Amino acid sequence: MPRELPITLKASERLFCSLPATMALPRFRANPGRVHLFNLSPAQNSQHAQKRVGRGQGSGRGGTSGRGHKGQKARAGNGKPKPGFEGGQTPITKLFPKRGFVNANTKTYAPVNLDRIQHWIDQGRLTSSPEKPITARELLLSGCVHQVHDGIKLLGDGAEQLKTPIHITPSRASKTAIRAVEKLGGTVFCKYYNPLALRDCVHDRTDRIQAAPTKRNDIVWYTEWRNRGYLSPQALAKMPIVEERWKTLSEQLRLYKNQEFDKPRK
Amino acid sequence: MSFGLKRAFHLLSQRCLSTVAAEPTAHNLPPSVTKLANQLPSTSSSLSVQAQPLARPVYLTVSHLVPPESSKPQDEVVELDSFIFSHPVRRDILHLCVVQHLDSLRQGTASTKTRGEVRGSGRKIRPQKGTGKARLGDGQSPMLRGGGIAFGPKPRDFSTELPRKVIMMGLRVALSARIKEHGLGIVRSLAWPTAKTKTLAGRLDELGWRKTLFVTGEESVPEGLRRASSNLYKVETKQVCEVTVYDLVKWPRVVLDVPAVEWFERTLAKDSKSPWGRAARSLPSSVS
Repeated sequence: MPRELPITLKASERLFCSLPATMALPRFRANPGRVHLFNLSPAQNSQHAQKRVGRGQGSGRGGTSGRGHKGQKARAGNGKPKPGFEGGQTPITKLFPKRGFVNANTKTYAPVNLDRIQHWIDQGRLTSSPEKPITARELLLSGCVHQVHDGIKLLGDGAEQLKTPIHITPSRASKTAIRAVEKLGGTVFCKYYNPLALRDCVHDRTDRIQAAPTKRNDIVWYTEWRNRGYLSPQALAKMPIVEERWKTLSEQLRLYKNQEFDKPRK
Repeated sequence: MSFGLKRAFHLLSQRCLSTVAAEPTAHNLPPSVTKLANQLPSTSSSLSVQAQPLARPVYLTVSHLVPPESSKPQDEVVELDSFIFSHPVRRDILHLCVVQHLDSLRQGTASTKTRGEVRGSGRKIRPQKGTGKARLGDGQSPMLRGGGIAFGPKPRDFSTELPRKVIMMGLRVALSARIKEHGLGIVRSLAWPTAKTKTLAGRLDELGWRKTLFVTGEESVPEGLRRASSNLYKVETKQVCEVTVYDLVKWPRVVLDVPAVEWFERTLAKDSKSPWGRAARSLPSSVS
């Protein structure tokens, strides 16, 4: 417990008077005044001192630095073996030849059939209008699909059960589905979503610019009216909400159709 | 109660901003809480015992950057949320926040060349045997003059991470510490009529407001104050969203305007999710 000193001492007296140990001022004051940058400290016992090995006898970790005497475990770089290492025996991954391949470009679409959509509409779990079409977000939140995977693909199963005109913006749509929807006066426009754009769609975020198709296959697919691609000129003319960017994209991405290249002269 | 005050009353919704005509004797006293208590409407006269909330709000007298027009001094009192402005002072939390902030300022660009990056050929500079000298390989060995640096610094990122809730607590602690030390002022607005530095400096000296950080909750710092104070020594202006724990600890006096107080009360509230950046979006439970 800090003892209070008589404060009548002058500065010079305080400097030179030697106090008994019990009367010495405590090193730390319980309340060191104003909060400032110089009197902050971490909580007591919250920090550990670094273990310094090989710094001499006095440190207690000199000599062998806590590694015992000579041998494999005393050497540097001997940690745990890597996963798959079988003690030097040929590991199983090297015993058999490689087989098959992984298609890096493949996409898994969440299939949605027309009868399922009609059922959801009947139950009042989905609605659509030209200005507010059904997207991956609506399908996911209403439970029509359990996961959006890489996008929604509209398929034509149960086309005869579809009674309501629907307006939908999937990633892909089959020919039969397009035909069935448009017969009833609905609309299908297929839009390109990369993983980030799909996530933004599902989370209803609009502050980021949505990615345009970059691969040749995607560019060709989404500029075709046959696929109801959103970058085809017909789709741009018919869609109720068209971003200005899509028009320029459509123009630029369809340039390749009219491009002619000089044949090399012989 | 003037019109402007009524408007502020409306703005502050929950906060009680009341005017107490200061008597000459009570002028030097701290915000007269007792007087305010007298003004509070008594909820029920039949009850003899009234329930008191555990956390009593903090009352602070409103200061004025621009001298008030009326000659009669009037004390306005702001009621502040005690959860934010009366937090126990935890210096360890402030230490964590300050160290994290200072870590984030480190450039981390110190760089040296290792023996592999130092220019020069890999030719053996002397025969292996027969010279009577040490065995040497190429000329870039760290042992040699002009050689590479062994274990030298390389560019790296020194920034550390701290849980968001700790940083939010740090802000609460720093604000509370400033209040406790009578280093926090609240003004209605930080608007300043002229861009003349001299007049502002005179007014700040009059108020004793040198070494002060002015924090505004508006879209930007008021133009007059920004221009007049930008060349003033030990006076800084900031927007409330830019304020860090480091600022609040470093500046012995902090002056907030009312929108800044509201921002703190909103973003540092108990159930607040994220004060910085985009508000947390949540998926609605059903789609109509």
